[in-house]
Amino acid sequence: MEVNLTLNGEDTTLTVDQSDTLLDALRNAGYTGAKRGCGTGDCGFCTVVVDGASVKSCLQPVARVEGATVETIESLGTQDELHPVQAAFVDNAALQCGFCIPGMIMRVTQFLESNPDPNEEEIREALSGNICRCTGYEKIIDAVQDAASRLSNERAMVSDGGRPVPSGQSCVDCSTCSGGERE
Amino acid sequence: MSRTEDGDEKTTPDGATQADAAPPVEFEEEANNRKKPDERTAVSSREEKADARKIVTGEAKYTADYSREFPDLASGKVLRSEIAHGVVREIDTSAAEEMDGVYAVITPGSPEVPNDPYTSAGQSYPEPSPYDLRVLRERVRYVGDPIAAVAAEDVVTASAAVQAIDVTYDERDAVFDAHTAIEADAPRIHDPESVENHQPGADYERNIEAHAEGEIGDVDGAFAAAADRSDLTVVETEWETPHQSHCVGEPHTTIARRDQDDRYQFITSTQVPYHARRQLAQLFDVPIRDIRVSKPRIGGGFGGKQSIVLEPIALALTMATDRPVKLEATRKEEFHAMRVRRPASVQVRSVVTDEGDLEAIDMSVLTNSGAYGSHGLTASGAVGKKQLAMYTHTPNIRLEMTAAHTNLPVAGAMRGYGAPQGHFALEGHMDTVARELGMDPLAFRSRNLISEGDVDVASSILKEGDGEIKAGGRRIRSCGLEECIERGKRAIGWGDVEQPDADYLHRGLGVAVTIQSSGVPNDELGSAHIKMNEDGSFILQTGAVDIGTGADTAMSQIAAEVLGARPEDILVQPSDTDISPFDYGAYASSTTYVTGTAVKKAAQDAREQLFEFAARMLDEPRETLTAHDGAVYAERTGESVSLEAIGYESIYGDEKRAQVMGEASHSTPESPPPFGAQFADVTVDERTGEFEIHELVYAVDCGTVINPDLAEGQVTGAMHMSYELAVGSGFSFDSDGQPDVVGFGDYGIPKADTQPPLTPIFVETHEPSGPFGAKAVAEIPTNGVPPALTNAIRDAVGVRVDNLPITAEKIRAALDAT
Repeated sequence: MEVNLTLNGEDTTLTVDQSDTLLDALRNAGYTGAKRGCGTGDCGFCTVVVDGASVKSCLQPVARVEGATVETIESLGTQDELHPVQAAFVDNAALQCGFCIPGMIMRVTQFLESNPDPNEEEIREALSGNICRCTGYEKIIDAVQDAASRLSNERAMVSDGGRPVPSGQSCVDCSTCSGGERE
Repeated sequence: MSRTEDGDEKTTPDGATQADAAPPVEFEEEANNRKKPDERTAVSSREEKADARKIVTGEAKYTADYSREFPDLASGKVLRSEIAHGVVREIDTSAAEEMDGVYAVITPGSPEVPNDPYTSAGQSYPEPSPYDLRVLRERVRYVGDPIAAVAAEDVVTASAAVQAIDVTYDERDAVFDAHTAIEADAPRIHDPESVENHQPGADYERNIEAHAEGEIGDVDGAFAAAADRSDLTVVETEWETPHQSHCVGEPHTTIARRDQDDRYQFITSTQVPYHARRQLAQLFDVPIRDIRVSKPRIGGGFGGKQSIVLEPIALALTMATDRPVKLEATRKEEFHAMRVRRPASVQVRSVVTDEGDLEAIDMSVLTNSGAYGSHGLTASGAVGKKQLAMYTHTPNIRLEMTAAHTNLPVAGAMRGYGAPQGHFALEGHMDTVARELGMDPLAFRSRNLISEGDVDVASSILKEGDGEIKAGGRRIRSCGLEECIERGKRAIGWGDVEQPDADYLHRGLGVAVTIQSSGVPNDELGSAHIKMNEDGSFILQTGAVDIGTGADTAMSQIAAEVLGARPEDILVQPSDTDISPFDYGAYASSTTYVTGTAVKKAAQDAREQLFEFAARMLDEPRETLTAHDGAVYAERTGESVSLEAIGYESIYGDEKRAQVMGEASHSTPESPPPFGAQFADVTVDERTGEFEIHELVYAVDCGTVINPDLAEGQVTGAMHMSYELAVGSGFSFDSDGQPDVVGFGDYGIPKADTQPPLTPIFVETHEPSGPFGAKAVAEIPTNGVPPALTNAIRDAVGVRVDNLPITAEKIRAALDAT
C-alpha cells in the first residue's frame, strides 16, 4: 500500500506493508536516523515529530500518518550547519554511543517549542520517555538548557531586528553574531 | 598511609618475600611522557568527539543501518527454548519450511551447524572459559537457549516461520538458586563428557563451573588469636547482589555474508572483532584469513558485546541460504538470551584491632553463572581479588570463590567485571567494622588503605585465572585515593550534615572507596599504524574498538600530542580485521592504557621519520627539532616547516620519497589501578523506609585525563549503572525459570526524572607506565554506589540493607526488626 505524507517538508509517498510501523517505513525508505531499541515504546530511540507532537514511531502504524506532517532527525541541520539543539548536544558532549541521540534530539526540539524556558525538573520530566544508557543524563540536561538559551537568543535577535540565524544553522563559531556560546 | 612500611615485609602467595620479587617503584619513562598541564596541546583538552556531528544528524551508521546495502539480505530469527531444562525430543520444521518467503530453517542437525562445543566469551586465546555451548541445542538449559533459526525475506516472515516450528520437549528438573545448585542432590545441568573445561575446581556433579582459593598469611591463626584476645574484634557480614542487564542501546545485531572472494564478511556490533574472527574460524573450521569482521558505530557494549552470541547463528544461516543474513536481537532477547551480570553471594569475615588495624580478611564468593560458563572463573575471582588490593596491608587474607551453574540466563562480562558485587560486600563490610569500633568510616579506612609506592599482593591471591599479576605483586606508582577522599568529602559536606526539620526524616552520608585495573596484566596486545597524507594530516588505524566511549577521539589526541598536529587532523578508522592492526578488543578498561600506548609509540615512530625530512628541509640537525602547532621547529633558528610541507616533500620530493608511516605494538605486565571514592547523600523516611538521594559524588584518580568531556561522561554513565544496581528492580523469574522481565517497562532503568544528580570529580595523578600518565576510567565508577548507599542509609537510620536492590520495604523491615 501507499501512504502520502509531508516528510521533512516534502510531499512524499511511501510504499509500505500494511503491518509496518512508522519506524519500519521510515527505515526502509532510508531514514535510518530513528533507531529501533525495543519495539514497545519504552526507549524513545525512534522518536520523531508527527503534526507537531513527539511520537514513538515504533508504536505508530504507518497507515495512521496518511496526510500527516512528519519530521525526522534528517530534517534538522547538517554536519556543517547544525540546528541549535544539535549544536548544543555536540558542544556539551551530551552523547556517547549516540544510539539514543536522534530520538532524544527530536524530543527536545519538540519540547522546547512547547516550553522555551524550562527548568531542570521540567527537562527531566520531558525526557523521561527517552532512555540513555551512556551519559547518566547530566550532560544531556546541560545540552537542553543550552539549547533553550540558543533558541531564545535566536528569537530575540529576530524580534529586535538583528540578523536572524537561518533555520537549521547554528550560531556556534559564528563570527558575525553575538548569540553563540563561544563568542 | 599508616601501614605502608609493614607491607614490604610480607610474603607473596608464592612464598617469595616482596623484597626479592616486587617490581621497583622506578619506571623507565620516556622524557616526553610527563608534561605539565600547560605544556599539553592535544591531551587533556575537551576535543569534540570525532563522531559527534554524524551522531546528532542521524548519519552515524550502526550495523542495522547497513541493511539497505544488501538488496538480497535475508532476515534471521531464532527459535529459543520455552523451558528451563530438558531435551528437544522432536522438532518439526516442515510447516516453517513450506512458508512463502522462507529461505532456510536450520536445526542442530543441519550440515551448516557445527556440532563442536565453543565458548561465547570473547576472550584471548586460549580462552579460560569452558567450551560448553553448541550453536543450536537439543539439550536446553535455560529459557532462551537457541534451538533452531530461520532466514526469510523479511523479519515478519521469519518470525511467523519460527512460530510455525513445532517442538516437543522432555522436561527435566531445573535449579535456579546457586546455593541449591551446588548441593549433591540438585539436578545436574552439564555432562562433563561433552564439555571442555580447563578451569580449576570444575565439578559438574555439583554444577560447579569453577572453584579457586588462595591465602596470604595464616587466616585461621588470626581468627583463633582473636577468639582469645579482647583487643581483637571479629566482624562477619553477608551480602547478596542480583542479576543486572547491560541494557545496551543498540541490541546485538550482525550481518553475515559470503563475498566474491568466497570469504565470510561480518558487519557486527562487537567489542572484540579479532576474538570474534578467531572463534568463528575455529568453530566453523574456516581459515582465519577467510573471515573479515568490521565494526561500524556501536550503540553501547558495557561487556555485553564481548560475547559471540549471534554471529555463529548468522554464519550458519548465511551458509544455508548463500545470502547475506541479518540477525537483530529483540529487547526481550537482550534481557534474557544475551548476557547478564552474575548474581553473587559474598561472605566477609575480618579481624581488627581496637586501634582499627585489619589483621585478617576472609572472603567467600558464590556466583550464579547461569546455564553456561563464560567468564565464570575470572569474573567470580574478580569479585574478591579486585578490591582486596586496596587492603593489601592486611597480613592475613583468604579468598575462596565458586561459580555455579543454574538454569537461568548466561552470565558474561559486564562493566566492572565482578568488582561491583565485590565492592558492595567489602566496602559495606568495612563500614560495618568502623561502626563496630566506633570509628569514622574514613578514619578507619585511612589506617588500612593502599597508597603510592606500596606493593599490592592481594590482587594476585588466586593463582588461577587470566592475566595474573606475576609473583612479587603489583607496584603502585600512582595513587590519588587520599585526595579523592578529601575532595569528595568537601563536595558532599562530610561531617556537616543538616538534619531535616521533620523528626521522621533522617539524613545520612555514605562512602565507598573503589579500585579497578587498566587492562588485563600480561594478557593484552594493542597495535597501531599511522600514515601521513601529503596535506599533513594522518590516518590512524588501531584495532581498538570504540563502542561509544570516544576511544577514537582519545587516540587522536594522543597521536596529535606526539606529532604536534591538531586532533582533528588525525583521522581514526574504525576497526576492521582486514585493515586494522591487531587488538584484543574493548574490555577490561584497556583501551586508553594499552592501545593508547601503542598509538603513542606508533606516532613517535612516524615523528622520527618526518623529522628526517624536516631536518633536510630546514638544514638543521634532527636532534634539535620539535613538533608543535602543526609544524616542525628548529631550536637554533626558530625556523619551521609545516607538516603539510613535510607531507608533500615525503611523497613528491626530489631528494627522497618515502611515505611517513609509523607502527607499534604494546603489551605489558603492568595494570596500574585507577582509584576513586564514591559518596552518597540520602534522606530516609523512617515511617515508610522511602529514601531520596540528594547527590552522588564520585572523585576519581585515572591518572592524566586524556579528554575531560569524555571522562566525565564515563564517570556519570557508570555511576548511573551503579545506581541502577543499587536500587533497580533488577531481574526476576517465576518458579519455572520464565523471565518476568522482558522489556524496559519491567526493568526499572533509571530515567532522566529518576536519576539522582551525579557529580564527577577528577584528581589528577601521573601514572608513569601510561600514555602521558593516563590510567583507565571506564569501569571503576560502576563499583561505588551500592556500598556508598547502604552505608549512607546505615548512617541515616541505623539499619543496614545487605541485599540488593535497596528498597523502601527492606529498610522498613529492618527498622521494624530493631
